[in-house]
Amino acid sequence: MNEPRNVTNLFSRRQLLQTVSSGFGYLAFSGLAATASAAERRFEEKSTNPLASRKPHFEAKAKRVIFLCMRGGPSHVDTFDYKPQLAADNGKPGRRRGNLLGSPWTFEQHGKGGLWISELLPNIASMADEMCLLRGMQTDLPVHPRAMTALHTGNTQFVRPSLGAWTLYGLGTENESMPGFISLSPDAGTAQNYGSAFLPAVYGGTPVGRSGRGGGQFGGQFGGARNSGTVPDIKNPVLGSRSQRQQLDFIQQLNVEKLRRDESQPAVEGIIESYELAFRMQGVMPELMDLEKENEATKALYGIGDGQSDQFGRQCLLARRLVESGVRFVEVSNGNWDHHQNLQTQLANSCQQIDKPIAGLLQDLKQRGLLEDTLVIWSGEFGRTPDAQNGNGRDHNNKGFTSWMAGGGVKGGFSYGGTDEHGYEAVDGICHTHDWHATILHLLGLDHTQLTYRYAGRDFRLTDVHGNVLTDIVA
Amino acid sequence: MFEFAVNKLRVQLVLAAMLFLPTAALARQNDESTPVDEAAGIAFFEAKIRPVLIRECYACHSVQTGESRGGLQLDTKSGLLVGGDSGPALVPGSIEDSPIWSAINHDDYEMPPGKQLSMSILEDIEQWISMGAPDPRTPETVAVTGTVSEDDIERGRKFWSFVVPVLSTVPVSDTSWSLNEIDQFVLEKLKQNDLKPASDAGPETILRRLCFDLVGLPPTEAQLKSFEKLWKADPDKAVATVVDKLLESPQFGERWGRHWLDVARFAESSGKEVNATFPQAWRYRDYVFDSFNDDKPYDQFIQEQIAGDLLPVEDDEQWARNIVATGFLAFGPKTLIEQNPRQFTADLIDEQIDATTRVVLGVSVACARCHDHKYDPIPQTDYYAMAGIFRSTRTFYGTLNTRQNRRPSQLIRLPIKDADPIGEPISSGELKKLSDQLADVEVQLQETAGRRREARNNPDGAQTLIREINSLQTQQASLQGLIDSYDEKGKPRSLCMGVQPVAQPVNAVFLARGEIDQPGEQIPRGFVQVLDENPPGIDSDSSGRLELAQWMTRPENPLTARVMVNRIWQHLIGQAIVTSTDNFGATGEPPSHAELLDWMSVTFMNDGWSVKQMIRRIATSRTYRMASTFDQSSFEQDPENRLVWRGNSNRLDAEALRDAMLAISGKLDVERPLGSEVAKAGETIARDGVLRSASTMLNLQMQAEKAGLGENLTADKIRNRLRRAARDRNGNAGEMMRQFAEQQPQADPNVAYRSVYLPVVRDSVPRSMEVFDFAEPSMIVGTRDVSNTPDQGLYFMNNPFVIDCSNNLAKRVAREASSLPAQIQMIFTVCYGRQATSQEFHAAQEFVTAFETETSSDAGTKLAALCQSVMASAEFRIVD
Repeated sequence: MNEPRNVTNLFSRRQLLQTVSSGFGYLAFSGLAATASAAERRFEEKSTNPLASRKPHFEAKAKRVIFLCMRGGPSHVDTFDYKPQLAADNGKPGRRRGNLLGSPWTFEQHGKGGLWISELLPNIASMADEMCLLRGMQTDLPVHPRAMTALHTGNTQFVRPSLGAWTLYGLGTENESMPGFISLSPDAGTAQNYGSAFLPAVYGGTPVGRSGRGGGQFGGQFGGARNSGTVPDIKNPVLGSRSQRQQLDFIQQLNVEKLRRDESQPAVEGIIESYELAFRMQGVMPELMDLEKENEATKALYGIGDGQSDQFGRQCLLARRLVESGVRFVEVSNGNWDHHQNLQTQLANSCQQIDKPIAGLLQDLKQRGLLEDTLVIWSGEFGRTPDAQNGNGRDHNNKGFTSWMAGGGVKGGFSYGGTDEHGYEAVDGICHTHDWHATILHLLGLDHTQLTYRYAGRDFRLTDVHGNVLTDIVA
Repeated sequence: MFEFAVNKLRVQLVLAAMLFLPTAALARQNDESTPVDEAAGIAFFEAKIRPVLIRECYACHSVQTGESRGGLQLDTKSGLLVGGDSGPALVPGSIEDSPIWSAINHDDYEMPPGKQLSMSILEDIEQWISMGAPDPRTPETVAVTGTVSEDDIERGRKFWSFVVPVLSTVPVSDTSWSLNEIDQFVLEKLKQNDLKPASDAGPETILRRLCFDLVGLPPTEAQLKSFEKLWKADPDKAVATVVDKLLESPQFGERWGRHWLDVARFAESSGKEVNATFPQAWRYRDYVFDSFNDDKPYDQFIQEQIAGDLLPVEDDEQWARNIVATGFLAFGPKTLIEQNPRQFTADLIDEQIDATTRVVLGVSVACARCHDHKYDPIPQTDYYAMAGIFRSTRTFYGTLNTRQNRRPSQLIRLPIKDADPIGEPISSGELKKLSDQLADVEVQLQETAGRRREARNNPDGAQTLIREINSLQTQQASLQGLIDSYDEKGKPRSLCMGVQPVAQPVNAVFLARGEIDQPGEQIPRGFVQVLDENPPGIDSDSSGRLELAQWMTRPENPLTARVMVNRIWQHLIGQAIVTSTDNFGATGEPPSHAELLDWMSVTFMNDGWSVKQMIRRIATSRTYRMASTFDQSSFEQDPENRLVWRGNSNRLDAEALRDAMLAISGKLDVERPLGSEVAKAGETIARDGVLRSASTMLNLQMQAEKAGLGENLTADKIRNRLRRAARDRNGNAGEMMRQFAEQQPQADPNVAYRSVYLPVVRDSVPRSMEVFDFAEPSMIVGTRDVSNTPDQGLYFMNNPFVIDCSNNLAKRVAREASSLPAQIQMIFTVCYGRQATSQEFHAAQEFVTAFETETSSDAGTKLAALCQSVMASAEFRIVD
């Protein structure tokens, strides 16, 4: 992809690199390094490339993560947390204002493990033996944005690095032409949830596509590019790759010169890194994003082409293509699960949007041999109340809800923890956000107490001073 | 001093978004009022209605029997009004809006199942609904419960931000560094922490900082030259002179007004599911820019936005401005798809409370909608006290009445006409033609609806007819909206968004957990208790909105001034004193400089709430002038620079980046454009960034007719036929295609005016803004995100706009400088606001010599590549 560049440039850049290398944990010129002389490349990679693939603390069960984030708080008692007593007590006064609302849907046991799953998710249920339900989830606050930030960063008060950023910091990436952490169609205003905070900018998530009505959309907002699965501005209309590299070298020369003058400038470091990544992405992204490369059977497997599941199906298929190409952490999100009213129709709709895509994803990962070391995690920011709101809706519930994991070294067909008879509160196998984070890092071969970053004189970690690994769920 | 000239009757309301059923709309607006003859109404209910309900409905829909099919219970008043799965069963005063009416007529549901009620019963029910559905079956009210005690509130008043600020004593210390009081405070804090202030930045850096901070544009070469000369003579005077000049420039209001639009969650569409446009929202935008340019006292600025319609005025111009200001309460995001009008109203009020309290006071009262505030001593009753104020207010936001949009509203007609109206007047012939078209559509609609009724037993056929009806309804709404946007003579009307008081103010009812089906007792209208021990009362005939506006801006309000000076500080120093800029409550961040914040707050008020004066104070301080130089030991002690031991380097925001590129390439149009792209499009639905307007559609149809493409074609059909014609090289179809594309207003138009005038359509923010962390227009954004993404890299490397600007800059440089060295110096000077260093100069020279593209090696191409590179470099994108 890259052409050799002229020697005078190289010489001056190497001098600059050496000048600034002390005191900074970066020199992320992997793109530059890739085309530099062999000796130079060895020097740079050995000492400084922050994205180089790294060994975990101990043997990892999972090498990569797909995070299926359900925005709005899906109801656990209608999906994965079977509550016969709630059905029996339907209409009786609840703990709060509303009356208890039994799930309008029936549950059945699935797979060898006999997991109880609602009829709303027949396709996902067919993959029950790959899934490990965590039915004792808890989080601190029943407020959307803050619970969402807690789910991603472990902290609601301060801007902290997100789970994906910590993962990338811990393990590096396996494909230097792609961002190591991609968030597909994140909501606007949620940059903090995929950000790197005080970690070097290179570990931050790259948003691809933007969120909009009816699920995520890719691409810019012009002339139909929105749903075509392209990245805006991915190709220069005039320059070829050789001349653009030449131009970029000059831009970076100016940037490194500024960095040298300023001594410490995280923003400049970030800009330098983002250009290199952008340049490499141009070479690989368009093809990777092109779902037309997949055959019809695969697309059908993900529910692509079905009105309800098409949008999310595309995202799930894209997520598979991305992890397959070596992206370490991919987040896919779906909303809106904030069903304060009209549960009956709205929850059914939401479930339809995800049922085929997620089942398809698990099946596809499995048949490609990827599921064993890909950790798939599914969670909302909290669950919902067993009692009714607005007659036929449910309110936020942070005291008890269900998330699940699949692949990546978790026990399949397994259920861990549980809520009280109605589903108000986790009573055993409690998994707080911090425990959830600790467990995910553990499956990735990272000790959450050891994965630290020194910032302003203190060692910070994702789980702060909390977190217990749920060793029972590890296969 | 003012002539008291408020005359509510002079504000005429027009049906701008003409409602499909105007009577329903009026009834909707009136559903809070009590029927005149209550006793007679109740007698009618007891005699004619209750027996029917008991006999025909209770078996399946009542609390008594425990049956609530479809979630509906009809044995309580609230059951009827709140309704079941498909929204309220009944809307008082409007049979068209009451599903129970269509159900008993067997139009959609068949109620009672398999049985048609007699004609006389139907007539009774029709009459009952029309008289406002009087119903004595009072619901059980929920007791008001709370966990916040008087003591809690009393204790809460001692929290730092709830204490009235006093003019702090200015620390006296080494004054050789300090230029004004601000510096004394900052220096004192640094000393206490054994930190030293950084030295002054160089004049180029300071000028660049000032220009971007105050007007959002890069310094010109001429400005740079004159500033350097002044600086040599007297740096303090040089800064003061430039600050004054910039504050007087009309670009100042655009820059600082945009900061306000961020917190005001300004947008030109409803967002959410429907995303209907707000074609009048731009008036508020211009009002804000003008207010900052006029240095309108901040207390007055707030009062106008919260209660401009109620303030005394001197003339119609002022009155019009004040009404436009209340748009602040009208353009929040809206769930127009909501079926239940009560839910919609509750959400609308909630949004207004949230915006008002967080934007002005920096506290979140809306948190108390469902329960007592968890952290601040704000009981749920405070929320409902404020809710009564907004419940006594009517909100006008327009929006096209499509089938999806279940909650359109009217607009307010301004007391004066636009001098320069948006859109051309139309002839009486054209107006007549529109009316004819409308009549035509209405006839078609009736016919189709008739066929639909006949096809009831044929589901497939019915589906096609339903689609047809939807399309006709949209056409009807567009036409009606268009007609209503003109007066009888065909001149465009001057309409705006905003609020008006209701005739008879009401209190809000306490709702347990904020749920509309859990009503409790009425809460008297009032304010937030923790902020005032002796709040003023609200007269029974006053909504309390004016009192609220005055109460928020009284000098004893502990928050309003603090919140605003903190915002000003943030935009100049790069980091706020209270970093949670919209949250001064217990969950917010403590101030880094509490005494300074209080000193500035009181001084701000003493300066007559002058924003410009506060900016002047900060911008002429030594603190503002510090270099952003790195220092290892200071960094270790205070890595986030909370104590301001150096200047902050900040990334240019989206608007400044785009404007700067246009400015240096010589293409920036600094004139304010008339209205906005959204205003041009009129009331429509924003889809995928295209604002397909009714008027351009009609224009297009006329052209298509003339070109012989056919009559009454849809946009898609026209486009397809044009495409075909262009392919067949038929006539001037290619030209028409181009016009077709140009006539569609875009949410991301290719224009050269300042970025603040780009359309702000929710979910379709222009790419040049979105990619650089533009404030999410559905949220109150006091502090924007700062992200660093490869997407930004791709934008600078490949975006056609950036490439255009590079080409234009290259042309300009080639024109104005003759030799390559002079050209290189000019590029660096306009981009960085300083000369190139020798390394930069040589690197640039080398680059230009060696660079060639795959297809070209001419001088213009090389120079353009150099221009793009310097614009893409970090120094251009950062202000040090």
